[in-house]
Amino acid sequence: MNPLLDDPRSLGARLRHSIDWVVVTLTAAIVTLAVINLNSAGAGDWSGRVATQLRWIGLGSVAMFIVTAIDHRTVYRLAYAAYGFGVTLLLLVPFFGIRVNNAQRWLGYKDYRIQPSELMKVLIVIALARFLHDAAAKDLSNLRRLVVPFVMVLMPAALIIRQPDLGTGIMLLLVSFSLVVAAGLRVRVILAVLSAAVVSVAIGWSYMENYQRRRIDVWLDPELYADTDGYQTIQAMISVGNGGFFGRGLSQGSQNALGFLPEPYTDFPFAVYSEEWGFVGTAMVLVLFMSLTLWAVNLASQAHDRFGSLLCMGVAALFFWHAVVNIAMVLQLVPVSGITLPFFSAGGSNVLTMMLGLGLLMSVSRSRHTR
Amino acid sequence: MISLHQKDDLRDLRPRFQATVIFVALAFLALAGRLCQLQVLEADHYDRRAERNFMDKVDVEAPRGRIYDVNGHPLATNRSSYTLYITGWARFELDPDGGVVSTPEGKRRPMGDTTRDTILSLIDFIDEADRDKFLALLEELRADEARGRYAQIARRNLSWEEYARIESRLEVLDPWVEIRESSRRFYPEGVLTAFVTGQMGNVSARTLDGSPHLGYRLGDRVGQTGIERQWENYLRGRLGERWRVVDARRREVADPPAWAVDSLPPARDPIPGQDIYLTLDLDLQTVAYEAVSDKLAGAVVAMDVNTGRVLATASVPSVDPNRYEQPIPSAEWKAWSESPLKPFIDKTVQEHFFPGSTYKVVSALVALGDPEFDPDEEIECEGYVKFGKRKFRDTHVHGPMNLEQALVHSCNAYFYELAIRNTLSLERVEPVARALGLGDRTGLGINGEVKGTIPTEEFEAREGTYQGGVRLNSAIGQGNVKATVMQVAVLYAAVANGGYVLTPYLVDRIETNDEKLVFSSEAQRRNETPVLDASDRARIHAGLVGVVNSEDGTAYSQRLDNIVVAGKTGTAQVGREYRNDTEVEIDGWDETQDHAWFAAYAPADDPQIVVVALVVHGGTGADAAAPIVMRVIEHYLGDTSSETELRPRGYGVPPPLPGQQDETLARVGKEGTP
Repeated sequence: MNPLLDDPRSLGARLRHSIDWVVVTLTAAIVTLAVINLNSAGAGDWSGRVATQLRWIGLGSVAMFIVTAIDHRTVYRLAYAAYGFGVTLLLLVPFFGIRVNNAQRWLGYKDYRIQPSELMKVLIVIALARFLHDAAAKDLSNLRRLVVPFVMVLMPAALIIRQPDLGTGIMLLLVSFSLVVAAGLRVRVILAVLSAAVVSVAIGWSYMENYQRRRIDVWLDPELYADTDGYQTIQAMISVGNGGFFGRGLSQGSQNALGFLPEPYTDFPFAVYSEEWGFVGTAMVLVLFMSLTLWAVNLASQAHDRFGSLLCMGVAALFFWHAVVNIAMVLQLVPVSGITLPFFSAGGSNVLTMMLGLGLLMSVSRSRHTR
Repeated sequence: MISLHQKDDLRDLRPRFQATVIFVALAFLALAGRLCQLQVLEADHYDRRAERNFMDKVDVEAPRGRIYDVNGHPLATNRSSYTLYITGWARFELDPDGGVVSTPEGKRRPMGDTTRDTILSLIDFIDEADRDKFLALLEELRADEARGRYAQIARRNLSWEEYARIESRLEVLDPWVEIRESSRRFYPEGVLTAFVTGQMGNVSARTLDGSPHLGYRLGDRVGQTGIERQWENYLRGRLGERWRVVDARRREVADPPAWAVDSLPPARDPIPGQDIYLTLDLDLQTVAYEAVSDKLAGAVVAMDVNTGRVLATASVPSVDPNRYEQPIPSAEWKAWSESPLKPFIDKTVQEHFFPGSTYKVVSALVALGDPEFDPDEEIECEGYVKFGKRKFRDTHVHGPMNLEQALVHSCNAYFYELAIRNTLSLERVEPVARALGLGDRTGLGINGEVKGTIPTEEFEAREGTYQGGVRLNSAIGQGNVKATVMQVAVLYAAVANGGYVLTPYLVDRIETNDEKLVFSSEAQRRNETPVLDASDRARIHAGLVGVVNSEDGTAYSQRLDNIVVAGKTGTAQVGREYRNDTEVEIDGWDETQDHAWFAAYAPADDPQIVVVALVVHGGTGADAAAPIVMRVIEHYLGDTSSETELRPRGYGVPPPLPGQQDETLARVGKEGTP
């Protein structure tokens, strides 16, 4: 029985109850700003990257509504199968993946390609939510119980980091850990894991590749590397500061318009946006992403079941970490890593993944109203 | 399967939700705080840094001042040219599709081998050495990241072919190569005024490092010789600047946005160099140069006897100053530097010679200063004089000679005899010679003058050449007496003008680009009272007139029909001093031959011009040098004997307005006569 199809109430009432208009409105606002900004980053070019992004947004929206229509109990049933599918795709990458700039991340043919690591972000949320739902009755403080989810997360994470794609790998770990924490991991364990992370970073420091270590050096003092590795960071900061309170206006930011800002499509679209919209605009985007995240937490608290609740928390974590880490990177609060800003960064798989996540959110949202 | 239909008890998760909300809010608040810092508190700082990114200062070269002759004929001007700039390290490269390839972190990278080879293949090198020099510069820029990141001048004056070739390949060469419009020096008269204008060359590393306050930039051109060097500070002008909007590749944005243009600082116009007007008369210079240019090596100077204005000065051989604007093949350069004809030496001031018999004027003056000397006493010339064990020879047996006749015949024995009598001891000659401007720089100011030498006994002792006979040789301008052509001209001008030693000068006036007078020369006498007694002058003058106009005179064959010239020949023996050991064989060049001199002034009754010619190893003065002098005098005075209006305008006299008669000319010319 599907309430979207079988609800006897009027169409208006059904739409009002079946579609989470908060999610739709926030998403529409973010997507609109993102597309305008992508157009600015490309010097007013509506073809090319913007067109591609728009196609993916269209495709993603369709996928979102399809997922919305699916009962999240069906998602629960398919959770491990979906996870298995994702891991299979990741396993195929080293053999059939398309190599771009020394990194093998894509599957597909020519221009039609997807990034399994992106899809994995939402798939791990589904799988972990199911596992944690199942484990709800038991005590999460028993560390042996955590072995399974640990392996479940680590396997795809390792595959992704090997591509190499450290940023996405770390994102996977962050989202997963957030989910486990939300599911009730004991505070003692959380602290233990965090200290373990600090220790392993300290140990891992000596095993890090030179370029990774250098990134941290650059992050600590970019002016020292202003002409080399610090260039990107510094130019991004200048762009943000140059925006001032009210911004320079669309396509009027000198940093972006004259090409001083590297990677305006992928890692640094927020710098372009900051320069053109100023503090007024950036505050607006912060509010939008925060609202979306908090609304997802709100939905989690209203869900009927643990699975739905954790799905919402997972999607919240997905949006939260992407937005916060990417913006913090632009603002030089964290080292530069390849973490994208949802919808602002050009990239089809990412858009699709985020839309799928929003679909899950709306699916759970819809289930609130059913008894 | 666990049923999801039943509402789970989610109460245990509630604290986590609450904590999450707080955590999320704090995280976003932190970002907002940071944004507030960057975009509100520090906005001005980043605003300036963004401006600094796209603002680029471009030096605007000041046009170099031009050099004109006295009538405004250009002797040195500027022509537009293309200059090749090379950057050794670029932050961005262009990929073949035309897009910008930035290195992963915006890192600079040095120019690649293929780019270097492409550049090399596009330039026409004149020889291997030229290519090696260019290659060395490229390699230096490739190796030195600090210097290599700025565009450096790599080659000036690209030919049209080179320009077209490079321009068509700019797509491939892009961040490394840039062609900018620039200017080169052009000398319309070329070799004719080579030593006057001088030539340009690259600024030396010593000037760049040692005198940064002068504000030269690497690759700048500065005057190396002649007027170009002496008056460099007037000619060079001051650099201007303009600002432009550039993109990240530091290329000028073709159509910069208005907001960017508005934020640029104002441009500063360059101050053009100042124009120099010389005293040189190009027509006379042409005559003088042509007269001397059929000799292998020689020099000629023409000067106003009353003011010291240099009217013509030429030295052969010389190198066309335009040649220095292009690379010079090393083989050619080597040939020049090794040539016994010394094409780099301005033989009017930079090299001294035995003055030979032209020096007898000095000797005669010294003798006249001796109260015991009787100029009318006749001394018998037997063709030689015996002094100690040595025999000092004369050219002929002249018979009985008095002073005037001795000058006319250029009798050596007469002066030997005076020297033996100690009338012409070194101690007596030296002060008179110095008073007449010999033995010291004339003060012309260009081309590093030499002093010449006037020997004293101490000098001879120091040199180890002292012997009793040296004063005999000195008396006829041999021995250790050395003088430059310019010094001899000053000497004869002093005889002509009644005893005033003049400082010769070439620069008449200097004007700014908008024709404001900056500097104006005045005649400078070294002495306020004449160094010559009027009666002494008259005796010597009579002798000099006789040289040209008496049938016995050494230069009688060269006299002019309509102008009475007073002059003196000189045939300076060089035989033993020079060894003919140069490897280069030049047809007609014999280093055992005498130097031929002729110094003269005219017209004899009212001297206007002094002309001195020297033909190095040219033979006798009358045959080799006198014709040169006569041609110059004839040209200068030839027309004036019939039509006074055609006389050259005095210095500082403006040309007549249209319709106004140019009557001031002759008057001013005469006023200068003492």
